[in-house]
Amino acid sequence: MTDWLAILIYGTFVVGGLGLYFLLPTTGRSTKMAGALFGMAALAGAMVLCGGRFLAASGVNAVFFLFASVAIVAAVLMVTSEKPVYSALYFVLVVLAVTPLLLLQQAEFLAIALVIVYAGAILVTYVFVIMLSQQSGPSIYDRRSRSPLLAVFAGFVSMAVVAGQMAVLPQDWAIRGTLVSANSAVAVTGVGVGNIELVGRVMMGKYVVALEIAGLLLLVAMIGAIAVSRKRVPADGPGLEGLPLGQSGREAPPF
Amino acid sequence: MNDIAPYIFLGALLFAIGLVGFLSRRNLIVIFLSTELMFQGVVVNLVAMGRLHGHVDGQIFALFLLVIAAVEAGLALGLVVLLYRRKGTLDAESWSSMWG
Repeated sequence: MTDWLAILIYGTFVVGGLGLYFLLPTTGRSTKMAGALFGMAALAGAMVLCGGRFLAASGVNAVFFLFASVAIVAAVLMVTSEKPVYSALYFVLVVLAVTPLLLLQQAEFLAIALVIVYAGAILVTYVFVIMLSQQSGPSIYDRRSRSPLLAVFAGFVSMAVVAGQMAVLPQDWAIRGTLVSANSAVAVTGVGVGNIELVGRVMMGKYVVALEIAGLLLLVAMIGAIAVSRKRVPADGPGLEGLPLGQSGREAPPF
Repeated sequence: MNDIAPYIFLGALLFAIGLVGFLSRRNLIVIFLSTELMFQGVVVNLVAMGRLHGHVDGQIFALFLLVIAAVEAGLALGLVVLLYRRKGTLDAESWSSMWG
């Protein structure tokens, strides 16, 4: 690794970490503008880094750059947004920006499942809970972060270590051909097997036990969620009003 | 495109941003949203690694990770609603009573 490359890599991470630190919500003077400038500089540095070392200029790489930038910007906005509803919606944007990258990696089924499950189901659950439990307007704990400098330090130092190792990868660490099943136990018959069929065959063959366990886990989680969210109804008799919320009354089954 | 390094780079970056959000935000819902962001980084990483080795096992791991994310969202949000009913706030620091 040459010197300028090391400077570029670690400088990019220092600048990006500073940008994220300035963007995190604080009570004092707003530093969002400085954060946005630092963030843009870091994004440009990362693009130069990827473009110089890893990627040649082509249409596919332009798609990668576009959606990766959208994903990173949306992720930063999600983490730094003061309103939880905006955070949830920016997370939908992250999922929708990651999906084309999975399509580029020939993971069509996973891309579809990601949109349906993440953007469709999980995020609806989150938005429901936000609607159920959020007071009107941003609250005080949304406008103050908890030790943002330490958090940014932890995140970006670990990230910079990973990236520093990425930069010294051997050159033959590249993709070998198109996707075929390396698993001989799965008899992939015929040519031109699509991604969905391949995933289905491997999942129902090699990973069928894991699939059953995953179904069992979903069942347990469903029962657990119902049991956890038992709700308390007001007590009938007197003398229980002095207790704090959640300890007075009797437990009622949720169904 | 014959190199997966940018994908691993992107996955690690999403993971790091999610980690920062997990450590520094105080709203319980945003904390759990940050873990979902970390899951996104892991998904990108797993798919790229599967592509590197030329089979779909990485994608299947990512599908199982989707199951775990759904389980986590269901259970954790149930817990968040429960905690909100107890204290009437979503502040994570309101539960640090043993801290002193």
